[in-house]
Amino acid sequence: MSIDLTFIGQIVVFLALLALLKKLLYGPLNELMEKRSAKIAEGLAAADAGKEAKAKADAEIAEQLKQARSSAQDILNAAEKRAAEIQEEITNKARNEARQLLEAAHEEMEAEVNRARQALRQEVASLAIAAAERVIDAELDGKRHTKLINDVVAQGFGNA
Amino acid sequence: MAEEGHSSGAGGIADHLHYWSYKFDDSNPFMQIHLDTMLTTILVATGLVIFAKWLGGRLTDGAPTGAQNFMESVVGFVDDTVKDNFPVHNPIIAPLALTVFIFIFLLNCLDILPAFLSGHIAGLFGLEHYRQVPTNDLNLPVAMAVSVFAMVLYYEFKLKPVHFCKELLLQPFASLLLEAKNPVVKLLGILLIPLNLTLKIVEELAKPLSLSFRLFGNMFAGEVIFLLIAFLLLGGGVVGMTAGFFVGIGWSIFHMFIGLLQAFIFMILTVVYLSIAHQPPEH
Repeated sequence: MSIDLTFIGQIVVFLALLALLKKLLYGPLNELMEKRSAKIAEGLAAADAGKEAKAKADAEIAEQLKQARSSAQDILNAAEKRAAEIQEEITNKARNEARQLLEAAHEEMEAEVNRARQALRQEVASLAIAAAERVIDAELDGKRHTKLINDVVAQGFGNA
Repeated sequence: MAEEGHSSGAGGIADHLHYWSYKFDDSNPFMQIHLDTMLTTILVATGLVIFAKWLGGRLTDGAPTGAQNFMESVVGFVDDTVKDNFPVHNPIIAPLALTVFIFIFLLNCLDILPAFLSGHIAGLFGLEHYRQVPTNDLNLPVAMAVSVFAMVLYYEFKLKPVHFCKELLLQPFASLLLEAKNPVVKLLGILLIPLNLTLKIVEELAKPLSLSFRLFGNMFAGEVIFLLIAFLLLGGGVVGMTAGFFVGIGWSIFHMFIGLLQAFIFMILTVVYLSIAHQPPEH
């Protein structure tokens, strides 16, 4: 239980072991562990970056979807508007046509009536002439016959 | 522990505390060397180096398994301890702590071998004595503690020479007195310098002394208790043998724990002393 040369020997053994273990055990292991930590950190960073990129892409997709939806809505609105316009146009056109038809029919009717009146007048005139001929044939009395002619004319017009 | 009984008492224990030593000079007690301590430490150190070499050849930077996994957890533990205690990075500290921890722990583990086994094996080779646990030999703890202390002094002088010398001469009494304007007080401060130096030297020397004696004392006492169990119980017939066997196993397990604890304490104190040496001086 005394200090002797073993002390010196132990210092040599200890320092030699320290140098060797530093070189052979601690150095490689520590380097390896640091490398692995760096690798893991890198992997985690990459995962984070991927997550971020995914979130970004998701946001972009949502934005694009929103835009697509809104443009689809716009197109739909425009189409509806256009349809309504076309409908109105058609309706107006039909209405106009109907009116024109009606007017044409009215005009034709009027023309027909006029034509009938004309024909009637001619008929009355010929009737009157016929009556007059008859009267003339019988006896031409101014006063009596004027009344008669007038009666015939009135009768003729009344029938018209 | 299960060894044949030795009927002798304390004298028998003392017989088992001799080293296998070689004396260069009989008149000078320093000029001898404990061959058993040297042989065991060299064997353990060589084993460690071979293990390190073997492990180095099969390191993988993927998921570690087996021995690599175990050593990585040890290295990680030592690294964490050093990082927690150290203000700056010094590449030698962590390997030093690792070496101290593993080396002392392995040497302490030799205590699990039966107390007389190495003596008997040595006896087969015609040797009278063989102490199997080198940490029981004061030379080894002192050698390690002095190495650590030398490093502490080296870093103290390298990193903050002026501050350290000032501390040696002026702490704890003189620094305030020297700043005083009164010449008498100043003179008193100067006169106190030798006292400061004495106190500081004692304080510094206490570090390696306590470091080495703590390990040596624990391991030596552990071995003496093994021997006591062997002498007191194993000689007492069947009952004594049985009791001795179980008490021996109990103490063995406890002593393993002490061995681990002492290795850890030696390591952490090494780191702490060196970290104090690395602390930047306060102003």
